Amino acid sequence: MPPALQNPITLWLLLTAALAGIVYAFMRPELRWKAIVYGSFLLACGVAIWPPYDRGDQPGKIHLGLDLRGGIHLVLQVVVEDALNATVDDAVNTARDQAARKGIQVASVSRSSPTRLSVEGVEPARVKDMRDLLQDFFRANWEVRDAGEGRLTVQMTDLYQRQLKDQTVQEAIRTLERRVNALGVAEPVIAATGSRGDQILVQLPGVTDVEQAKRMIKTTAQLSLKLVENSAATQETLLQGVGGKLPDNMDLLQGPSDTPGQPTYYLVRKESMITGRDLKSARVGVDESNRPQINFALNALATDKFSRETGRNIGRQLAIVLDGTVYSAPVIQSKLGSDNRITSTRFTTQEADELAKILKAGALPATLRYLQQLTVGASLGRDSIRDGVMAAGAGMAFIVIFMLVYYRLSGLNAVVALAANLLILLGAMAYANATLTLPGIAGVILTIGVGVDTNVLVFERIREELRNGKTVRLAVQNGFERVWITILDTHATALIAAAFLFQFGTGPIKGFAVTLVIGLVANVFASYFVSKFIFEWVLGGRHFESLSI
Amino acid sequence: MEIIKNPNYDFLGKAKYFIALSVFFILSGIAVMALRGIAYGVEFSGGTQLILRFQSTPEVDRIRSAVDAQGGGAVIQTYGDVKANKVLVRIAKEAPENDLDAPARAIRDALAKNYGQNPVLESSSEIVGPIVGAELRQKAVYLTVLGLLFQLIYIAARFKGGAWGVAAAVAGLHDILICLGFLTFFRYEITLNVIAALLTLVGYSVNDTIVVFDRVRENLAIRRKDALPKILNDSMNQTLTRTLISNGTTFLSVLGLFLFGGEVLRGFGFTMVIGILVGTYSTLFIAVPFVDWWYGRTGGYAPAAAPIAKAQGRAKATA
Repeated sequence: MPPALQNPITLWLLLTAALAGIVYAFMRPELRWKAIVYGSFLLACGVAIWPPYDRGDQPGKIHLGLDLRGGIHLVLQVVVEDALNATVDDAVNTARDQAARKGIQVASVSRSSPTRLSVEGVEPARVKDMRDLLQDFFRANWEVRDAGEGRLTVQMTDLYQRQLKDQTVQEAIRTLERRVNALGVAEPVIAATGSRGDQILVQLPGVTDVEQAKRMIKTTAQLSLKLVENSAATQETLLQGVGGKLPDNMDLLQGPSDTPGQPTYYLVRKESMITGRDLKSARVGVDESNRPQINFALNALATDKFSRETGRNIGRQLAIVLDGTVYSAPVIQSKLGSDNRITSTRFTTQEADELAKILKAGALPATLRYLQQLTVGASLGRDSIRDGVMAAGAGMAFIVIFMLVYYRLSGLNAVVALAANLLILLGAMAYANATLTLPGIAGVILTIGVGVDTNVLVFERIREELRNGKTVRLAVQNGFERVWITILDTHATALIAAAFLFQFGTGPIKGFAVTLVIGLVANVFASYFVSKFIFEWVLGGRHFESLSI
Repeated sequence: MEIIKNPNYDFLGKAKYFIALSVFFILSGIAVMALRGIAYGVEFSGGTQLILRFQSTPEVDRIRSAVDAQGGGAVIQTYGDVKANKVLVRIAKEAPENDLDAPARAIRDALAKNYGQNPVLESSSEIVGPIVGAELRQKAVYLTVLGLLFQLIYIAARFKGGAWGVAAAVAGLHDILICLGFLTFFRYEITLNVIAALLTLVGYSVNDTIVVFDRVRENLAIRRKDALPKILNDSMNQTLTRTLISNGTTFLSVLGLFLFGGEVLRGFGFTMVIGILVGTYSTLFIAVPFVDWWYGRTGGYAPAAAPIAKAQGRAKATA
């Protein structure tokens, strides 16, 4: 095909022009306009479909759902509480810092629920000062309340909670998109779903390594580098060193030691020196002894802070923490710059590779929980296509034969309308990037059934008019006209049913609803208008004594 | 070619026998559902379903003994064509939320260990956590009812009378109940696809009802002297050929779906096959008799002739 014709719009315009030429040469003037509009619409559908399936290097225009081509379908729930907790924790730090700066004595500042922080034991004389201070800092989005006896609470507003939830889900979706792109999946679907809006639907067509995909998706990947205060083989030893109780600004984390199966416990600062957000890049490399490691670079701002902090803490251990586990805790030998690396005796090359990709894609703002998982093997998908096409073919062949036998030449009209119906249905699906699922194929079959119904309604009406002694032309005209209201009402109610099906919102069923909706609209055009046009074209201008119907 | 020449059946007169038949089917359906319980598919009940493709012909007994070691109560059956070497394994045990995969993995591991001579070449799985299943069940009922309600409102508005809408909705509900009875009796599971089929057939049944109602509306506008029952009966006869042809062709195409559509669409095809039959039946023997009963009870009928009168006027003007 010459390159100019590769562009679908050019191709369509050329075809339409050719059609217009033919129409002007052969068709009666009163029909020309309709013929060109209808024809060019059908041509557009044809161009939109071509090529329908993968052909050489051209990808097929009909997208198959993953129940037909195999792949993974996951529904994940975003644990929004994580993000709320993190926000309240930030607020706790702010409140504590501000109190200290103003010299207000407080017994404790802590998170008392995922949406609330409380300040306890404020010195009685300064309760009002503390309250003003909090109100100053938490003006928007928070409500400060005085609970009496030196206790103040700061509560997140409902609006802010909703905003945070939406933000968290959106951020999770963006992160998942980046990770899935790193996996190299074609045509993935990642979208918010569920009635409460905290679920994410992930569809990865064609993916066969489920385990890898799930690891890539689920890892939260919250990376942070924290200073180690102390480390020991048991938690008790560490706690004894700090008086039996974990200090407010410290965390107790677990990590590997040199002896396999024997963990080391680390007492680390809660505050991170740098986090995953400060990363500029991450990739896999190897160390001197050819073991895999992850090289990462920091952005400019973080580099300044990092080299300042490492310079100040030479000789101390720095814990590399990923999702709450210490990967390694090297001793800071010198002031560090932008380019650094993570090594761990635990890494295999594949693990290191996945981790690098995940780090580059960024951390998830919250933990994800699996609610549903569907995997379809490729051969099952192929069997489904074969069966579905077979069933559709059988149904269609039967209908075509029946219409031709029963309605003779008018039946041919119905068959042309049926073909136009299918063309529009598939063209619209290709254009809208809708996916064809197995229930969708069932939807195609039903569309054929409903499409034929329109023709049958019209044809039976024409027969009735003919029996009542009307002329052929008038019978056809009345037939179409009287049936219009019926078609309007039946299609409207069918659309209502399809709209509720669509609300189900789950992959294959949604595909079915989409097919039904498009099919219903296509049907009105094809089985009513196109069919009517064919009658007008064939019958118009001449006198007929009888009609082949 | 014509199927029936000038049909003139007394549908309304025979309606009471058919209503009795419907009541019988619905009550037996409810009895079957009460006795056996409705079998939900994995997407509604929660649990794990695997479809495993083996290298050679799988022996279901060996698979069962391998899988039962992981906790009993598993459903194991040949899936689709015997030559495809596929087996469906389902366990109802709830998958733990933090590790949805665990039961599926346990089954695959057990098979690899105890039935290693016939390895699994490919597996498809469907794992549904408990929350999703319950949510979906609720949604299915809710959407079906809402869908019917909106169709009822639309029809009531278009035909300017609540009775028409209620009649179509009652017929739709009748179809769903009978279909559910058949599904349970023949031990089909209520899967998402089956729910889709049920919702579709409600649309289809209402669709079929409207064609007849529409004819009634038209006749009411023309034949003002005739009594409503006669018009109802005549309208059914006038549209009978269309009813038989349209529903006949659709019936045969969904029959094709049921027979050739493969294992995944089996339940869908079955529901549609029953549904088209029942939907056609309910138009003639439930929806129209309901309208007759309603207006016979309330007395008199105010014809809603406006839309069709306009169409008639147009037809005359162009003639």
